[in-house]
Amino acid sequence: MVGISIAIIGAFLLLLGGFIVKDIVVAKRAANKYVHYTVRGTVTSYLMLLPALLLLCVFVFLPIVYSLGYAFTDYYLLRPGDMKFVGFDNFVQIFKNFSMHGNVYNATMNTLKFVVFVVPLQIGMALGLALLVNKPIRGMGVYKVFYFAPVVISLTVTSFLWVRILGGGDTGLLNSFLVQLGMDPVSFLYDPQGSMYWIIFISAWQGCGYQMLIFLSGLKGIDQTLYEAAELDGASKGRQFLAVTLPGIRSVLTFVIVTVFIGACKIMVQPMLMTGEQSFTITLNYLMYIEGYTYRWVGYSSAIALLMTIVIGAITFVQRYLLKEED
Amino acid sequence: MKKKLCTLLSGVLALSLGATLFGCGEGPGGGDEPTVDESGNTIIKIMVHVAQQSPEGMAYNRITDEFNASQTAKDNKIRVRVNYNPRSTTGTGYETELGNMLNQGTLPDIVTFDAPNTWSYAEAGILADVSELISEETQNDFFEISKNTYEGGLFGLPIQESSAGIYYNKAIFRNAGLLGRVENMTADNAWTVAEFEDICNSLKGRCDLPVDLQLYKAADETATYLLYPFILAQGGTFLSEDGMTATGYLNSPFTVAAFQKIRNWVDSGYTSYDASDVGFYTGKYAMYLSSGWSIPEIRNKYREQLGDDWGILPYPKGGANQAASATGSWSFGMTTQCRATEQAALVLEWLVSTESSVSITDATGMIPARQSAITVKNYTPGSPEFLLYDQLNKTGKTRPGTIAYPEFSSAFRGIVNDMRNSGNVSSIVSTKTTELQGNLDRYQR
Repeated sequence: MVGISIAIIGAFLLLLGGFIVKDIVVAKRAANKYVHYTVRGTVTSYLMLLPALLLLCVFVFLPIVYSLGYAFTDYYLLRPGDMKFVGFDNFVQIFKNFSMHGNVYNATMNTLKFVVFVVPLQIGMALGLALLVNKPIRGMGVYKVFYFAPVVISLTVTSFLWVRILGGGDTGLLNSFLVQLGMDPVSFLYDPQGSMYWIIFISAWQGCGYQMLIFLSGLKGIDQTLYEAAELDGASKGRQFLAVTLPGIRSVLTFVIVTVFIGACKIMVQPMLMTGEQSFTITLNYLMYIEGYTYRWVGYSSAIALLMTIVIGAITFVQRYLLKEED
Repeated sequence: MKKKLCTLLSGVLALSLGATLFGCGEGPGGGDEPTVDESGNTIIKIMVHVAQQSPEGMAYNRITDEFNASQTAKDNKIRVRVNYNPRSTTGTGYETELGNMLNQGTLPDIVTFDAPNTWSYAEAGILADVSELISEETQNDFFEISKNTYEGGLFGLPIQESSAGIYYNKAIFRNAGLLGRVENMTADNAWTVAEFEDICNSLKGRCDLPVDLQLYKAADETATYLLYPFILAQGGTFLSEDGMTATGYLNSPFTVAAFQKIRNWVDSGYTSYDASDVGFYTGKYAMYLSSGWSIPEIRNKYREQLGDDWGILPYPKGGANQAASATGSWSFGMTTQCRATEQAALVLEWLVSTESSVSITDATGMIPARQSAITVKNYTPGSPEFLLYDQLNKTGKTRPGTIAYPEFSSAFRGIVNDMRNSGNVSSIVSTKTTELQGNLDRYQR
């Protein structure tokens, strides 16, 4: 294992060395034309970059390469010495499990449901809040802090908080109100039809404050005279939003859509802490964790990770392409 | 000057990072020699699954301190060091850490482990066979069912036993005129499932819930541990003897019928998935299925609500008079990477000694797993602890032995979870069996 790591880091350093040599050659040729583009400057730049590049190699590049390799093995955490290359066997098992409506199917459907609902909801909430706090009203700073607060609280804390609110029987806060009103308690978190929607709402509530700030910075960058001109032309508020605001924050919106989408695909903590392993809330990331850590099948888990990466990467690429086209 | 300083700093940073990365080859446990301190004492490292501040952690701290001060430690020049690595209820950090340590060659000398993991840890080479290192006298003092055996070897000895039972509120039973039917119940004259159902039915409307079976605890091992005896008592089966076949066992008609019964109890209002985990403690529920760990909870935290007006009843017997009760707690085992096996064996004997067993079970409320400690405890017949001990002795059944225990437990909990929202128990069991069989087959590929 150590040998493979050294080999990968070595390959990475070799690649880096190649870039350095190439840049030195370019620097030597350009030395007469550009005063600031020198060999010495090039070497210094790379030396300054080296710590960050090494960290990137060890904590990003290395795990990705390992995970990619493990996906084609039968790596079992407790038998690393017996690891064998199994080709596409893990992928075949994943598709088999999907076709028999097992955990892979449940996790895929739940993740899909989560992404489809949480992305527009979270972005809509964030944009709505950003438009609200963008108004020059006294004390708006307090509201900004209020809306942003859930972002700085850890996911674990908010998850347990919502479990207390939505808890079953008459012990949950919401249910205790319902019981006081003479109604029957509702199983909010364990209802197969409704549970995921609660997780979607809670995730959107938790995350929208961060995107609100990003939208706010975009809104601040819009030239106010455009609104004045639109108003003179008799444009309604809705028309102003569509014709001025949306085009003005297009690049910010693209960034937010992509990051929220990727974040949504990785949902794990909320279902894990709020409902545990349930067929109606298990997600792909959570399944990956169960397979890799609870069952210890690292190879199978890595295969799920690889498939997820391919799908998320492809969708992100399409998203960026479509949004770019509109530009 | 500034540029030179930047270059120098970058170089130093890069070199130090490189040195750190490439110096990782030999971990802290590297080499074959045992660790020895400056006084020449052999260090025996122990890793336990609880926090040092917990009652159980404090008990471990006490008994290891006592060992370090003992004549045995002085004569054999041994010093014990404990690493407290609390295990979360939903996560699996402790187990993952053991796997990582195995791979890196940094396993401590002695570890604690949950009994159902015996097979997988023994098979994977985490645990060593200690049958030749532990005296026969010690081995024979443990209840046969409690020993951590695999393929004829002894891979650990239990810290304590964790028999479970049905706690009952005597006041509620008295008011319902039912106390006489259960008061003198023992493991020998345990009630039947039909009697259990009849009593649940009579208790309906006289309290918030007749019985809390902790069905809501299916996110972790608790549900499997508490409910599997219900299935076994009704003739249900889980896995083949080699632990590798689920088809025909987990989905056998008896198993399906037993799970169906649990679902029927929910439908009949006898129990609920939405029960409060303190409902029994606060006097709202008549019965509560739980392990011995609830005894100190009631006596210390809920004395005001329940006083001494409570007791424990055995698991109900199945139709063919079959009886089963939960067993299996955490154990101490020596790892295969232990570098001082003789010294570690002495420490292991100390950790599971009669005195240590008494000390730990005093802290946890569980019952000891060895006869001599039971004698010291001298449980009064009729007491909750006596019922648990008696039941363990007469009807205790282990959870299925398999190297794929996490997968089995997940399937079992999946059935309990899915029954919450669907009455089609047969279909749920069938799906989970197929999935579990697929997972078991992975070990044979």
